[in-house]
Amino acid sequence: MTVLELLQDDFMRHAILATFLAGVTCSCVGVLVVTMRISFIGVCMSHAAFAGALLGIILGLNPTVVALIFTLLAAAALGPLADRGNFSPDTSLGIIFSSTLGIAFLLLSLVPGPKTEALGLLWGNVLTVGKIDIIILAAVALAIIVLLRLFFKEVQTVVFNREMALASGIPATAVFYGILICSGLTTVASLNAIGGLLVFSLIINPAAAAYQIASDLRSMFFISALFGVLSGWGGLWLSYLLNLPSGALIILCSTLLFFGAVAFSSKKRSWPAKAVSDEPRSEICQGGKLNPEAGLQGKPENDSRQPCSKSALMEE
Amino acid sequence: MGNDAYSILIKDICTAYHGLPVLESFSLQVPEGELLGVFGPNGTGKSTLIKVCLGLVPVASGEVRISGYRMSREGISFIRKLTAYVPQSFDVDRRMPVTAGEVVMMGRFGRMGLFNRIGPGDQAAADDALNMLGVKHLAGRTFGRLSGGEKQRVIVARALAQEPKILLMDEPTNSLDWESKKRICSLIREVHVERKLTTLIVSHDIDLLADTCDRIMLMERGHIIGARDPSEFRHCCRGQRHS
Repeated sequence: MTVLELLQDDFMRHAILATFLAGVTCSCVGVLVVTMRISFIGVCMSHAAFAGALLGIILGLNPTVVALIFTLLAAAALGPLADRGNFSPDTSLGIIFSSTLGIAFLLLSLVPGPKTEALGLLWGNVLTVGKIDIIILAAVALAIIVLLRLFFKEVQTVVFNREMALASGIPATAVFYGILICSGLTTVASLNAIGGLLVFSLIINPAAAAYQIASDLRSMFFISALFGVLSGWGGLWLSYLLNLPSGALIILCSTLLFFGAVAFSSKKRSWPAKAVSDEPRSEICQGGKLNPEAGLQGKPENDSRQPCSKSALMEE
Repeated sequence: MGNDAYSILIKDICTAYHGLPVLESFSLQVPEGELLGVFGPNGTGKSTLIKVCLGLVPVASGEVRISGYRMSREGISFIRKLTAYVPQSFDVDRRMPVTAGEVVMMGRFGRMGLFNRIGPGDQAAADDALNMLGVKHLAGRTFGRLSGGEKQRVIVARALAQEPKILLMDEPTNSLDWESKKRICSLIREVHVERKLTTLIVSHDIDLLADTCDRIMLMERGHIIGARDPSEFRHCCRGQRHS
């Protein structure tokens, strides 16, 4: 089977374009989710999108629009909970995750008649995506790329340390909420192609693979996008050859790429750098030997290493 | 002394954390150009004090002025451009794809504003800070893989790249070995003098405060309970150590 033969079918051209766009979008958002260590938030968002789409089917409304509203609401609820909840973020997110999952399965049971469309949202089917789905995916991909290009320095600072970013005058809270909204938009846009249950793997796996290899954030975005597209096209190719579900094979391809990146990661093999590796040696350690005199001279006169009672010191 | 002569002016503030009061009727004045240390045991509210100065912790009552700017929705953006923060700890994965040079450059981003790109002035400020802290050779290395002392110097360089008027340091020698501590102490003093900064260090490290600060305030349970000059402070600590 050649690529040209594949491209002769209309549905296959749509599928190739959809996997390309979903691969790029999911993996770019994945870089933010992985580096900020907010993977669980993304899982919650994907389940909220799935629940929203199911509600849309039940009410006879456009599932994508209702899913979008649900994810934006989830982002609005998750942000403050992750920020200043009275429980630990893990606990708060665990509660929201199980709630969205519970709502989704409740709504699934309420869908009247055959549940094919509803289950399609759960597993996705890239071979059935239409022009509208591709336009939505392209719009979301373009929006995310433009936003990343415009606010790269702010995003980089927030990813490194949110508190320090805020203290230095970066609108860190707005950037964080922007990331949550982008994560929600990506999930909604990929629902039909990848499915609500599997989309999150396509967000995490390529980015986690790129994390093993990239030396800076910019290159991590490119490597992650490349892995995302390769996973999409690889899964699609296998799905065509083996006549198996495309969504599941796309995720398995991304998982294989992740394990490949872990196996060949140079970061895994190298040890943390030594403190004095590139610098002139200090007076304490000269020529690879300890210089006790220098150490004693350098030590403050009053320095005794015993702990002292601080509460006693406070007494006037 | 008029209010404008103080770089940091805190008047009778109260703050709470998860409903529990941390600072109560707390006041502090730091004149321009002073290197002030605040000493106290863990949990006494030292880190909260630093966060109040940065507007990261809201104040229930009282007044906070930084370089004459009142801590408010309007004033906070000016305040954050004038102040630089060295946090107590920064949990960075050693595979995080950020180099030390990029970390220092991040100090410029708040000043640059949205949509602006890194210019020659920003690059020069970051290079100056890297040179001053002696970490220029680390610029291309992954930040997460540096040693504790190297990381701390890079974070101080990031703060200096911001070209602040006030430097706020929260336990800057936390978890450093003795040699790194010694080096950071002398660097803090050097940076303070050369850049003519107002510096506030909160710590429970007696040597750090006695070796670097002009004046040391003693804090307990959210209150300032006294002030010492470094020799008095050292003498007091030595007495406690020998008793």
